[in-house]
Amino acid sequence: MDVLSNLGLGFTVALEPINLMYAFLGVLLGTAIGVLPGLGPVATISILLPVTFTLQPQSAIIMLAGIYYGAAYGGSTTAILVNLPGESSSVVTTLDGYQMARQGKAGLALATAALSSFMAGTIATFIIAFAAPALAEFALDFGPADYFSLMVFGLVAAVILAHGSVVKAIGMILVGILLGTMGIDVNSSLPRFTFGVPQFGDGIDFAVIAMGIFGIGETISNLGRGAEAREYVKDYKGLWPSPHDLKDIVKPALRGTFLGAALGILPGGGPVLASFSAYALEKRIAADPDRFGRGAIEGVASPEAANNSASQTAFIPLLTLGLPASPVMALMVGALMMHGLYAGPQLIAEKPELFWGLVASMWIGNLLLVVLNLPLVGFWAKLLTVPYRLLYPSILLICCIGVYSIRNDALDVIVASVFGLVGYVLTRLECEPAPLLLGFILGPLIEENLRRALLISHGSPSVFVTRPISAVFLALTAVVILILLLPAIRAGREKVFVEDAS
Amino acid sequence: MRIRLSTDFVTGLIFVSLGLFAIAYGWNYPLGTPSRIGPGYYPLLVSSGLVLLGAILIGRSLFVPGNPIEGMALRPLLFVLAGTFLFGLLVEKAGFVISGVLVVVFARLADHDFRPVEVGLLAAVLVTFIGALFWLGLSLPLRPFPQW
Repeated sequence: MDVLSNLGLGFTVALEPINLMYAFLGVLLGTAIGVLPGLGPVATISILLPVTFTLQPQSAIIMLAGIYYGAAYGGSTTAILVNLPGESSSVVTTLDGYQMARQGKAGLALATAALSSFMAGTIATFIIAFAAPALAEFALDFGPADYFSLMVFGLVAAVILAHGSVVKAIGMILVGILLGTMGIDVNSSLPRFTFGVPQFGDGIDFAVIAMGIFGIGETISNLGRGAEAREYVKDYKGLWPSPHDLKDIVKPALRGTFLGAALGILPGGGPVLASFSAYALEKRIAADPDRFGRGAIEGVASPEAANNSASQTAFIPLLTLGLPASPVMALMVGALMMHGLYAGPQLIAEKPELFWGLVASMWIGNLLLVVLNLPLVGFWAKLLTVPYRLLYPSILLICCIGVYSIRNDALDVIVASVFGLVGYVLTRLECEPAPLLLGFILGPLIEENLRRALLISHGSPSVFVTRPISAVFLALTAVVILILLLPAIRAGREKVFVEDAS
Repeated sequence: MRIRLSTDFVTGLIFVSLGLFAIAYGWNYPLGTPSRIGPGYYPLLVSSGLVLLGAILIGRSLFVPGNPIEGMALRPLLFVLAGTFLFGLLVEKAGFVISGVLVVVFARLADHDFRPVEVGLLAAVLVTFIGALFWLGLSLPLRPFPQW
């Protein structure tokens, strides 16, 4: 009853024409900028942040939420159409979404992403409304040791993503973590691996690595493949999902929604972990896991749903604990502070119209996203009919200007070029770059929680197994490693036998 | 036994070298105490893991035949990277118009299908459009032309 009246309050705020207009404007601008390869939600929100300064606080936060969803969907669009993830959480979408696009099912992939996101958004809105207070209390029970084990579990689970060798995938995660340690250490102010370059003091920006590996490196691989293999698929029949497709979408999207909602609540979890885990789950339970990475529709529906529901539930720790779970949420904290608002437990009580208005506008934002983007699916898919020889110089130029514009530093373009080389070499060595990116993002969080956990336990590592939540995650990690290693050993043996036979 | 130049072997070599390099470079980073870990603790942990995994890959490649490395596409590699490198070197001094045109021209040189007129038009259209979008549309502080 309480929840319903709260939601009612929220909808009255969100449905005010002026707020509705800002939500629409936010979704439109967010999609338009987010669809540009390389410009993910963080870049998009940073660029559009000044636009919201002059608005009323609740209009501003509603518009920012709209920009966030728009940018996230725009990121999925480029992930599907040109294999460029605009943000870390759409890395997974490239795996099957891009393959679907290459098979002429770009429209279907885009519609799947939009519908799964909408479904997830609707359910997640209700999850927030009903469970926010209780779940915030559950997250309060998480200590640093628990976060540490959770993130280690997330990283290991992500190895399922890689096609090839488990050892290589774990190695790529470690390389990513090592890259993530670059920069000035927050606790000791010691510059680590900065090679005397002042700009490396803040570390390398995620977008620089992503655009280098996926924008520049992928272009080189495509060019190396020869003319026939690299043309984007020209016809894009099947814009609308058939009833049969819808049936295929619903269950994975539901699984993704609930997995994403659960992981999004946990600070440090968030959309990245959600989309990776959802993909891993689908691949694990599929009758025919070989289809994944070759255009499986579940491989788009489930991560997109998980991504979106986690994007929403990520607001829970932010608004109830004042704990930003991701760079985007950190930007939201900044935006709130500019309006003189401090995220924290007192926010729901003191500013109910802001909290519940935001919750309601999340659902409205998702609705607008579908209304705006489904008619445009044909338009985005038409991008594929542009010949590759015209498209790839555009991708390279946007990558260059995009990387440069992150912080107006030409060195970033050089670093991105180096990562282009790295990305190309990795594909030649049959190493998947996706685990590297995940390690890069979660690495610093793991270090911070490891440090805190050991500080609290006075240096005793037993804290990771004596705390029940942590112990459960570590046990799950061990199970995943076992599952991963068994077939690898078997496959290795079979390979030897094949060689012997020939 | 002859060492095969398989992807496993080379990847292992890279992992070991990178890990050893990070250990050596970060040798003076304080490790701290068990309860107060220093800035060197975590990188050392991760680098050691990398060396271990690299060693496993190398070791395994001696017994299990892996896939050999396919050839590198040198022409796209060199020209694409030359274009983006030049952009990074020039954008601050020469502005995004000149450096943008260079990216497009070098990108097309990476392929065998270089059509001068088409490339000229493409460069003009792309630089105008992307310049307008990022510079005018998003009002990012970019410099279009060289400043003497």
